[in-house]
Amino acid sequence: MSHRASIETRATRRAWWLAAPALLWTLAFFILPFGTMAVLSLWQRTDLGLEATWDLGNYASFLANPAYIQALTNSLEITVTVTILSVLLAYPLAWIIAEEIPERFRRLALALAVIPFWTSYVVRSYAWSLVLAKSGVLNDWLGAVGLGPLDLANSRAATVIGFTHFFTMLLTLSIYASLVQMPPNLRRAAADLGAGAFATFRLIVLPLTLPGVMVGAFLTFALCIGDYVTPQILGGGNDLALPQLIMLQIGRRADLPMAAALSIILMLAVTLAYLGMARWMKVVR
Amino acid sequence: MTRYLACALYMILLYGFIFLPVGVLVLFSFQDGRFPIPPFQGFSLRWHREVLGDGDLMAALGNSLLVAVASSLVALTLGFLAARAFATARLPGVTALRGALMAPLSVSYLVIGLGLLASFNLMGLSKSLWTVAAGHVVINTPLCFAICAAALGEAQVSAERAARDLGAGEFRVMTLVTAPMILPALIAAFLLSVTFSWDELIIAFLLSRFDVTLPVEIWSLLRSGLNPKTNAIGSLVFLVSALAILSFELTLARRK
Amino acid sequence: MTKTTLLAALVGSTCLANAALSQELNALVWCDHTDASFVAPFEEEFGVTVNLKEYEGTGAALSLIETSQPGDWDVLVVDGIDVPRVVAAGILGPLNTDELPYDTLFPELVMEENHVIDGVTYAISEKYGYNTVSFNSEVFTAEDMADMTRLWSGDFAGQLAVYDYYLPVMGMIAVGLGMDTATLSMDDLPAIEEALLALKDSASSVGEVVSSQTAIATGEVDILVGGGEWVTAGLTADLPNLDWIIPEQGAVRWSQSIGVFADSAQPDLAQEFVKYVLSPEGQAALATSSCYWAMPANAAAADVLTDDQKRALRWDDQASYLARALLYPAPDAELDAAMQDVWTRFLAR
Repeated sequence: MSHRASIETRATRRAWWLAAPALLWTLAFFILPFGTMAVLSLWQRTDLGLEATWDLGNYASFLANPAYIQALTNSLEITVTVTILSVLLAYPLAWIIAEEIPERFRRLALALAVIPFWTSYVVRSYAWSLVLAKSGVLNDWLGAVGLGPLDLANSRAATVIGFTHFFTMLLTLSIYASLVQMPPNLRRAAADLGAGAFATFRLIVLPLTLPGVMVGAFLTFALCIGDYVTPQILGGGNDLALPQLIMLQIGRRADLPMAAALSIILMLAVTLAYLGMARWMKVVR
Repeated sequence: MTRYLACALYMILLYGFIFLPVGVLVLFSFQDGRFPIPPFQGFSLRWHREVLGDGDLMAALGNSLLVAVASSLVALTLGFLAARAFATARLPGVTALRGALMAPLSVSYLVIGLGLLASFNLMGLSKSLWTVAAGHVVINTPLCFAICAAALGEAQVSAERAARDLGAGEFRVMTLVTAPMILPALIAAFLLSVTFSWDELIIAFLLSRFDVTLPVEIWSLLRSGLNPKTNAIGSLVFLVSALAILSFELTLARRK
Repeated sequence: MTKTTLLAALVGSTCLANAALSQELNALVWCDHTDASFVAPFEEEFGVTVNLKEYEGTGAALSLIETSQPGDWDVLVVDGIDVPRVVAAGILGPLNTDELPYDTLFPELVMEENHVIDGVTYAISEKYGYNTVSFNSEVFTAEDMADMTRLWSGDFAGQLAVYDYYLPVMGMIAVGLGMDTATLSMDDLPAIEEALLALKDSASSVGEVVSSQTAIATGEVDILVGGGEWVTAGLTADLPNLDWIIPEQGAVRWSQSIGVFADSAQPDLAQEFVKYVLSPEGQAALATSSCYWAMPANAAAADVLTDDQKRALRWDDQASYLARALLYPAPDAELDAAMQDVWTRFLAR
């Protein structure tokens, strides 16, 4: 074997050793549990315990139950709304921090945007319910200005507000990172060639930052659709979302197989979103 | 001028939106009364005192720190090693392997937690802070891997090769050459992992028994009755971390 | 090693050894057992540590038990109505009845049909209360609340919240419709569902203990369906305008029982804990816990409770209340699944 080849084989072998711990951990604590869930979803819960029936009964129950389908629809509607809203709110803020704010204040601006999320997630959601309550802070202020009270608490609007609050911050960071990596010469070149500000944005900046936006949006979609805390605290039991349905199976019936089936369905939704995004990115390119 | 005003207005509105719940939280943690609802009745440190004296809450705080730091160290090590693996050699099936390592990012924490719950139960393992930490390593390793992989470029690979040519062993290469070169990325990955682990509720809730983390303890508090203590602990955590970040920023800025 | 280091090491290792030897009792309980002051006397007397894990419904408790190992738990607190189910699943072990205060228990709370199966006693009642209607007395009077059917007639649209627990709320509706909770069947469900969905249309929110308390305490709603003294009694000091009533149709009585796990590693210590909880001191502490107040099952607690506490619990009215309240429904597996489906539809509405 030539000298170069043996170095490369040694390098490959060493690489396997290096990657092994992470791969083994992922295998043991992610892939296998996921497989367990998939297997469990094919079992049934009976009075005496878990029965290995090996059928699609849980999935059939899901499709046959309009309330369950409604939960999935609710989750999708909320998640899409939150994603779009967060992107629309975050992009301008990311732009302002990246372009308008002098460089020495940029990290401070980012830090200020992130610090409020260093309170506990649970407590922060609860604080939103305080703000949005009928006799809460928001209505207090609106009353002071003479506007009527808004009944936002315990509703889908509250859930969307709570989610958007967090994901706007996340997307701001992600879009900022993408904006900052863009070479400034491109925009200068476009300006030299006579393009106006808006045209430059539409034809240069937007396409170049779109991958960053899409990745952030996908992360938002995945995290939002799978989140249990915010709809539970802010939704007031009025708008059942899929994660709540899953926890209901655990909390009420101890029905792990049904919970597993619903989880697989949740993952299917996320996978479809991922494939949609990947295909969209390919088409755009 | 209008552009400046428009930007300023937008920033004020959005930062106002971001700080609104936290402001309310901190304000009402000083509420002199049992109910954290307006109108604000007067200043009192009662709830903060009760929080600091609440053994369960303080223990949960300690547990959260322990789990966050431990799981982040493990996740960072795993991610760093794996990132080096992909940077230094061409492994077969690289896309599939990379996909497997990044997959947990897109899976709901609820699903990860349920899967681990079912597996640990089948394996006969009791729930504890160890099981929680194992779950947190799963969610943090993809992050650390991605950040380290992004930071390991040609410069690091050549530096490593040079060090190895000079006779350094693998361990020395990693710790004395590679790690210092990508230290900012390592710190960023570690801090991000600590943040995610610190605030994580569902996996901690499903996989712990008596020793719980702070989010789980707060969740129990919230389910047990109307309690301004939750505001107090939330604002305490916020104030301490805000101070930490701001002082970090200022000292770093001063060094520059 | 210097002398001081050696000494420190010795002290350290003894402490560690002591800590390891200190016995631990693991209890799965409702949130009213988690006050430090409640378990402190027991911990001191026996020199042990009591670990408490709380749950918010029997299903959650069963989930926890199923995802635990044998020996993980020693003491179980569970709704009285669920004891037969829990015994059938082999979770509870026999209870030693010799030292338990059966002579001073409220007679309605002995509930032999739930606690004694095939001649063996598995649990004993420790606390009880009502799922009925709580209301803000500044907005509504007792006469307004006397007719339960007004709750789902639309008279109180947007002003009420519902407690998120299917058994008592559906039981209440059954009582309101004139049914007997002990003989509920699948045929009764359509009528119950109709009233339930009408109730949801009037409801501003559905939530568990703290959401329910928050909703009525903050004035978000003025009526809580499924509430009772457990919502208001502990709040009367701060909010005296919160009241509760049993409507003329009646209401539903809940009770929680305490027992010992069949696979507990320390059944004697667990038995001692049960004795402590049923003692007058334990009962008084339990009745006035910070999570929710309610009547103790052992009437001997009257000697330890203050007059104000007894007033908040309506101690003197209990005889008439007990007469007018029915037990939770006790559905078989099929009916239970059907009821939970109805509840899911209720939540989704």
